[in-house]
Amino acid sequence: MSNVTTASSTEAKWWGGGKSPFNVEYGKVMMWYFLMSDAFTFGAFLISYGTVRFSTNGWPDPNEVFRSFPFAPEGVHAPLVFVSVMTFILIVSSVTMVLAVHAGKNMDKNGVVRNMIWTIIGGIAFLSCQAWEWNHLFHEGAWWGQNPFLNADGTASSTNFTNFFFTITGFHGFHVLSGVVINIIMLIMTLTDKFEQRGHYLMIEKAGLYWHFVDLVWVFVFTCFYLL
Amino acid sequence: MSHEEVLHSHEGHGHDDHGHHEHHETFLSKYVFSMDHKMIAKQFLITGMVWAVLGGLMSVLFRLQLGYPEASFPWLESILGKWAKGGQITPEAYYALVTTHGTVLVFFVLTAGLSGTFANFLIPLQIGARDMASPFMNMLSYWFFFTASIIMLSSMFVETGPFSGGWTAYPPLSALGDASPGSKSGMDLWIIAMALFIVSSLLGGLNYIATILNMRTKGMSMTRLPLTIWALFFTAVLGVLSFPVLLSGMILLIFDRNFHTSFYLSDIFVNGVGALSNEGGSAILYQHLFWFLGHPEVYIILLPAMGMVSEIMSVNSRKPIFGYMAMLGSLFAIAVLAFLVWAHHMFVTGLNPFLGSIFVLLTLLIAVPSAIKVFNWLTTLWRGNIRFTPGMLFAIGFVSLFISGGLTGIWLGNAALDIHLHDTYFVIAHFHIVMGVASMFGMFAGVYHWFPKMYGRYMNNSLAYIHFWVTLAGAYLIFWPMHYEGLAGMPRRYFDFSIWESFKMFADLNRFISTVAMIVFAAQLLFLMNFFYSIFKGRKVTTLNPWQANTLEWTTPIRPGHGNWPGEIPEVHRWPYDYGKDGQDFIPQDVPVGANESHGH
Amino acid sequence: MAHTHTAEENKAVIAEIKKVTIILSVLTIVELILGFWMIGMDNAGLKLAIKGSIVILMMAKAFYIVAYFMHLKHELKNLIMTIVVPLALFIWFICAFLSDGNSFRNLRNTYNPYFKEQSTIKVEKKASPNHESTEGAHDEKAHEQK
Repeated sequence: MSNVTTASSTEAKWWGGGKSPFNVEYGKVMMWYFLMSDAFTFGAFLISYGTVRFSTNGWPDPNEVFRSFPFAPEGVHAPLVFVSVMTFILIVSSVTMVLAVHAGKNMDKNGVVRNMIWTIIGGIAFLSCQAWEWNHLFHEGAWWGQNPFLNADGTASSTNFTNFFFTITGFHGFHVLSGVVINIIMLIMTLTDKFEQRGHYLMIEKAGLYWHFVDLVWVFVFTCFYLL
Repeated sequence: MSHEEVLHSHEGHGHDDHGHHEHHETFLSKYVFSMDHKMIAKQFLITGMVWAVLGGLMSVLFRLQLGYPEASFPWLESILGKWAKGGQITPEAYYALVTTHGTVLVFFVLTAGLSGTFANFLIPLQIGARDMASPFMNMLSYWFFFTASIIMLSSMFVETGPFSGGWTAYPPLSALGDASPGSKSGMDLWIIAMALFIVSSLLGGLNYIATILNMRTKGMSMTRLPLTIWALFFTAVLGVLSFPVLLSGMILLIFDRNFHTSFYLSDIFVNGVGALSNEGGSAILYQHLFWFLGHPEVYIILLPAMGMVSEIMSVNSRKPIFGYMAMLGSLFAIAVLAFLVWAHHMFVTGLNPFLGSIFVLLTLLIAVPSAIKVFNWLTTLWRGNIRFTPGMLFAIGFVSLFISGGLTGIWLGNAALDIHLHDTYFVIAHFHIVMGVASMFGMFAGVYHWFPKMYGRYMNNSLAYIHFWVTLAGAYLIFWPMHYEGLAGMPRRYFDFSIWESFKMFADLNRFISTVAMIVFAAQLLFLMNFFYSIFKGRKVTTLNPWQANTLEWTTPIRPGHGNWPGEIPEVHRWPYDYGKDGQDFIPQDVPVGANESHGH
Repeated sequence: MAHTHTAEENKAVIAEIKKVTIILSVLTIVELILGFWMIGMDNAGLKLAIKGSIVILMMAKAFYIVAYFMHLKHELKNLIMTIVVPLALFIWFICAFLSDGNSFRNLRNTYNPYFKEQSTIKVEKKASPNHESTEGAHDEKAHEQK
């Protein structure tokens, strides 16, 4: 005990009770740990996908599957192009979110509003892209339980390629959707001066954490489904 | 208000007003949609008790079948209807009973009922906080649990019966509606109930973690936390990190059931339906996902009991807990190892034997922190001035059960032995003793010990002693013989053993086990009677600190209101185990360190 | 408001955001270049190496998002550790799951002749899915043009 009571290192002071050891309010601690647990949800999905892929002899080539682009003329194959557009949309929306959080720290209401609007637009754009891609794949005959694509080596493929694709991108899309909803709520609260009255924009920070997490998950989903 | 002030405001003035003036509270806001952590704890406890009675009753029913496979009991038909045609439980009903018994006891009683109750009750009181970090989320956590309970309960009344494929819900029985009667709507309800339960435990767990980290009172450093809080903290971490994996597994299961996917299905032929077109999945994947939660779940159940036992033992031995830091380190080691050993449940599923051997190694490592804990409990008792309160008896009983159940875990953790013992009564005996009954003992110890704080009254000691001795003796009499049955190869989950020549010799033993099980169940009713009687009529607590304990909950009023302390929250100056120090029997945590006090701890 | 940034701090923060944005874009472009390079590649060893480097790039991107966008790098060390250390559980999570998946494939190839056979028979580029696909795509185009 004595070493703790006498030690005056900053470490002991942070953990000494009476304040947050992380110097953040409890909501942010909760948000971080929620994101950790969500990381395990997505982790479990992606690892399951990997496990099934490892236990199967063949697998479709993503470049053969995801190769279309909206409004492109028939027969044009553009693998990776559309998904890179989606990736950049999400990265840019993450950047505007960071700017919104930064503006919030400066109590700059207009900056928050401007950047939140851009973030929401980015989120909606991403969702629209995903809707288009799902729709396109559906018309090619792909859905849960249906897989029109062959393995890369020309053998018959099980339906698990599409099963996992739709489940995981769907779950991610669901997160994007809830992120957009949260961001819209934050925007409304900013516009009605809720945060000005409270004197801080910490809620924007928490919404930002969630939004960046959605972007983070996409980094993994994008790599696992489109590149590997 | 500056940023800094905002960060720390909720400890300061955010909750202060609770202490000072009484809120107008209606019945609904006080007892039903309460946001007071103490009331939520009681809600968890009582819902857990209801489930414990139901789950126990189920075990009595299927023990009846196992003990008296030939006999028929007409009264069974009158209560169970078509599930007991002619007074004999049908095989379908039997499987449904064992499945629901497992699910309910593991998740609803020993997870929600145990850590839901004591995490909610003890965390704010013992760390010196007005309430949980987010009382609203805390309330939601209970109501999600309640909804899950209702749905699980309703699954027992659907026409095809509740899920009957075992509490682990392995596919294909869980993934194919055609596989068995219980795989139909009973399974859908089971999944929905479990999903809501996972949400509840996440909301609770996040709250516990944030509260323990952020809301400790001044001076309550992490190494001054009572071991109860440490145990509940690791429990919450385990839950937050492992339940999501089960959630993923269940989402995939829902797709397999309803949307023609084949995540877990491959090469399946169903009688009367024919060969299924599902190809390419892996049932082992589900088992991995399930046990990635399932093993930490064992410690989610066990750790709170360990924490409470440590605290109760120290208080009632009038001695500091032996090796506080070692206790803490072993809790941490158990929490880490809990995530690394899941596949020891899967040695016979076709798991890669090389991978299996790594899992054996990691599993056997758990023996080290477990042994540290056991020795520390024993040395805490050693030459103590022991007061055999009911809570203390149950704490000692916990250690006894933990040793005898834990040792057989070392057998089962060896892949080579497990091939023989897997899915036999040996496994049943092992996990019931070490996880089931031991954690129940932890829960009883907690209820007896903190009952005065919960209700301002004592429970009846004589009834408690009867309860203890019947339960302890009964637990050993029920589960000890099962080891022999398991060694002889008697498989678990079978409906009727009387048709096998090799198990006929166990007919008498099975009848004996069933009889004891019923007696033990009756003794639990004694506990319930004692509990509810004492809430209203028990002897009143007249001193603030009836057990002469050091922790902060005993500095609150006898019946603390919302906000716990009427005035300032006490400041903490020492660790919670200053018993028998410098000739003083006990020194509470809020007493400042004296000028010539010796260095302890 | 005590904690608003000074003009210089603001500049530094904005500069950092710009820097990270550029880094993330460059990493993504490199990933995409590697991805294009892999199209139609037959050399299995090289393909594996490229996939490995894509995974490394992915981790780098994840690091930049968590460290700068989620601001973790500027938090106290306490918070960083409590978040990063539990994530180490993923190492064994991934290793055990994937290696058991691989072992399951070997088992099936050894003991399940049907499974083995299925993965050697080349299927004719079935007219149905491909045909359907162009049809479907066509229909859709038609819809969109309306």
